Amino acid sequence: MGEPISSSVRSHIVGTTGIVYASDYLNKLTGEKIERECKKQLDSGCRTLVIDFSDAGIVNSIAVSILLGIIDIAEKKQARVVFSDVNDQTVQLFEMLGLIRHVVLARDEQEALTLFTPPTSTEAMSH
Amino acid sequence: MNKHGETRVLGRVRRDEFIGRADELRRVVSHGQASSHGDRGKGLLVLLAPLSGVSELLRQAYDEIFLQQSDVVPVYFALPQTETTAVSAAIEFLNAFLVQYVACRRNEPELAHTSLTLTDVVQLAPPSDADWIEELVEAYNRERFSEDDRALVRFCLSAPSRVPSHGATPFVMFDAVQLSAYSHDTVPLASEIIRALTLSDQAFVFAGLRREVADTFASAGINARSLEVIHLQPLLEADAGKLIESVSRRLNVGIKDETRDLLAQQLEGSPLFINALLQSARDKHTVLDSYLACERLYVDEIMGGQLSRYFASALERVASDPGTRRAIVRLLCESTTTSAVAGRRASFETWEKRLELDAVEVEKVLRRLHIQEFVNWDGDTINAEGGPEAWRDYLQSRFRLDALREPRALVVAELMSAALKRAPENVARNYRLGASLHMREVVSRFNSQRVPASLFDYSEFAELYKGVDPNEVAAALDVDKELIKLPQVFHTTSGASFSPEMRQFTPDDSCIVAHAFEGATYTDANEVVWLVAKIDSKLEADADLTALWLERLEALADRRALVRRQLWLIANEGFNAEASSLIRERAAFASSQQQFELLSARLSEGEGSLPHGDEGNEFVLVFPMGSDSELLAATTVEQIARRAQFTPEAINQIKTAIVEACINASEHSLSPDRKIYQRFRVEDDKLVVTIASRGVVPSNLEGRNGAGSDESHEATSGPSGDLSNEYGGAAEQRRGWGLKLIQTLMDEVEFERVDEGTSLRMTKYLRKST
Repeated sequence: MGEPISSSVRSHIVGTTGIVYASDYLNKLTGEKIERECKKQLDSGCRTLVIDFSDAGIVNSIAVSILLGIIDIAEKKQARVVFSDVNDQTVQLFEMLGLIRHVVLARDEQEALTLFTPPTSTEAMSH
Repeated sequence: MNKHGETRVLGRVRRDEFIGRADELRRVVSHGQASSHGDRGKGLLVLLAPLSGVSELLRQAYDEIFLQQSDVVPVYFALPQTETTAVSAAIEFLNAFLVQYVACRRNEPELAHTSLTLTDVVQLAPPSDADWIEELVEAYNRERFSEDDRALVRFCLSAPSRVPSHGATPFVMFDAVQLSAYSHDTVPLASEIIRALTLSDQAFVFAGLRREVADTFASAGINARSLEVIHLQPLLEADAGKLIESVSRRLNVGIKDETRDLLAQQLEGSPLFINALLQSARDKHTVLDSYLACERLYVDEIMGGQLSRYFASALERVASDPGTRRAIVRLLCESTTTSAVAGRRASFETWEKRLELDAVEVEKVLRRLHIQEFVNWDGDTINAEGGPEAWRDYLQSRFRLDALREPRALVVAELMSAALKRAPENVARNYRLGASLHMREVVSRFNSQRVPASLFDYSEFAELYKGVDPNEVAAALDVDKELIKLPQVFHTTSGASFSPEMRQFTPDDSCIVAHAFEGATYTDANEVVWLVAKIDSKLEADADLTALWLERLEALADRRALVRRQLWLIANEGFNAEASSLIRERAAFASSQQQFELLSARLSEGEGSLPHGDEGNEFVLVFPMGSDSELLAATTVEQIARRAQFTPEAINQIKTAIVEACINASEHSLSPDRKIYQRFRVEDDKLVVTIASRGVVPSNLEGRNGAGSDESHEATSGPSGDLSNEYGGAAEQRRGWGLKLIQTLMDEVEFERVDEGTSLRMTKYLRKST
């Protein structure tokens, strides 16, 4: 578990994965905070971004456009983006607005962390 | 005090017999009362249509204020028809003012209509008023021997303003209906009256013919716009009927319901004519129990009774020379006949030539006829179709007697024959007119409301509901999802107003033209004209009749260059299959009387009201823009939707849609009050949410206003529903998804018509969770 790097948006870094937590209402302001935080993490060398939606209630369309911007930036830096713990309604919204095509969805943060982390030799053998 | 225990001063009828003018009376009286509360200097104009009757209204107001015995003294003065000089009329006014003032101050009603000399008035004046009245009379005596008529007129008319401030305040009610009788005078009486009333700081009423008053104020150089106005029209038919009942009871004239209705309609709600005819019936001991009795009396009145005297006197005021009057009668008769046939109007030059007068004199004649509303003169052409039916009968009788020299007996017989033939036709026409007014009233109530489309498609309606119990039909329509949005109608008129030829097809007003706007904005593209006709057919209208009417309406629209049009035919029993097919080909609407009545029942009354008045299930909230207030709206609607048993998924969709609508309102409206107005209405099977804001209509929405959700979907999303297909490019293109998202999340989305800003209505149908 890494140390927090921003007081406005909860986040931390695990290895080369930056984890950012979306707030209850994801709108322009909170979206921009996430965007700033993601940029910071990419600049600091993260190769994977996990945005955790476990606290998110409503996501508005402005926030979605900002999330698409984050995906663009990540793609340019050859980083991957994972959305974790997204509720069904928000998944539906992301589908409608075409986000799903550009991100990987994870059930929760733990699953997100394992998606792009190379398995240990023990784990590889157990499969 | 009269035999009914009621005190009357100038009023000629009992208060309870004074019918149809309660609102006007209240306004005149309260205007007078206001003058005692320091609210002075306010004028009240009573603009009346000819024959509407204003004298009794002012006399009733006089009595009410007199009997209150407050510090306001009413003064009623009607310009006499016989005193045709300005000086004599002004002196008469001074006398009336002083007599009525003293009568009121002494609280002696009978004194108010007693003939008193000025010396009598001085002697009767109460001590508190004696000094100024005596001084006023002395000053008048000095003034009247001067050679300056205008100064004398001015002195007399300004007498009320000479009451000292410690005295009771006069409230002058000036009945100037006969003003045109003074137009020949060297002293401009009209201007002097206006001047005296408006220069005073006392409240007043000035009543006159509506077409004359505006001219009078303009020629006096006084701006009438600041004055309060009452528009007095002839009595409504129901009130006219009540008046006939009341007067006939008072005069002990026998009458039946049928003849009461005939007279109410034939005398066109004129209190003057009603009183004159019933007075004549009493004098002749005539029982008005049949059309024959009524028309016989009517013809007597036209040939030589009060109605004849009224019109003769009106004509004398128009032209003093008998030869000119005969020429006018001839010209009016001929013009009327010509107008009725071909819709032609006479030119000024025609009148000049036919009257053999110079242009100035012809102008005077036309102006006086125009003021009396016997003709409509726009400065160039003259339309002689004005005036009541009795006027036209009078003209015809005079023309035949004086110009054609026909025997009087023949004229009387034929006039009576025509009146008798006309009576049942007129009554029937009136009933039809009542129905057509209903048609106009229904169309006027369209007001952008949504109604089942089947109400405008007879063949579909018949297939679905023919033979079905009316209650079941109404219930089925309640849940009908196929709706059409009606336009907002801003003007309706008869088809004949647009095309006089329509009169030959529709003797009544059963063809109407309604100008309207579709959608939410007033633009050329949204303007549409509905042409509606009611077809007279006992059975289902056939193809021939239907085609004929479609062609008539198309022709009317073509002639008047009505580009965007919607035809709508209504036939009592609907349309047969062949006719329905024709209607479909022309993209017209068709309804039976039953559909029309169902439509009428479904339309709400006024702008902005709810279709079913079901306000018990409506929640209204106003939030400031910004500060994430859209979340409050979302939370609120969550509670409402949960109570209405929407599924969690649907609730989330509604919440998201509301958030988007609020964001749109905040971002794009340039709202002056920075508020979002929200309305949540729960109906049986749906939740209707309206999000409105003041300000400008965002340019990106202008083209979409009024569009339904289906149409919008097609335009904004691909088959997969993925909205990013066309907008998923560069970052700056990613904004502006709000409306599309709303359209995806909700079942129906439309912009309601508002004068300013936007009002987005979103509907979500209930699919209860299992």
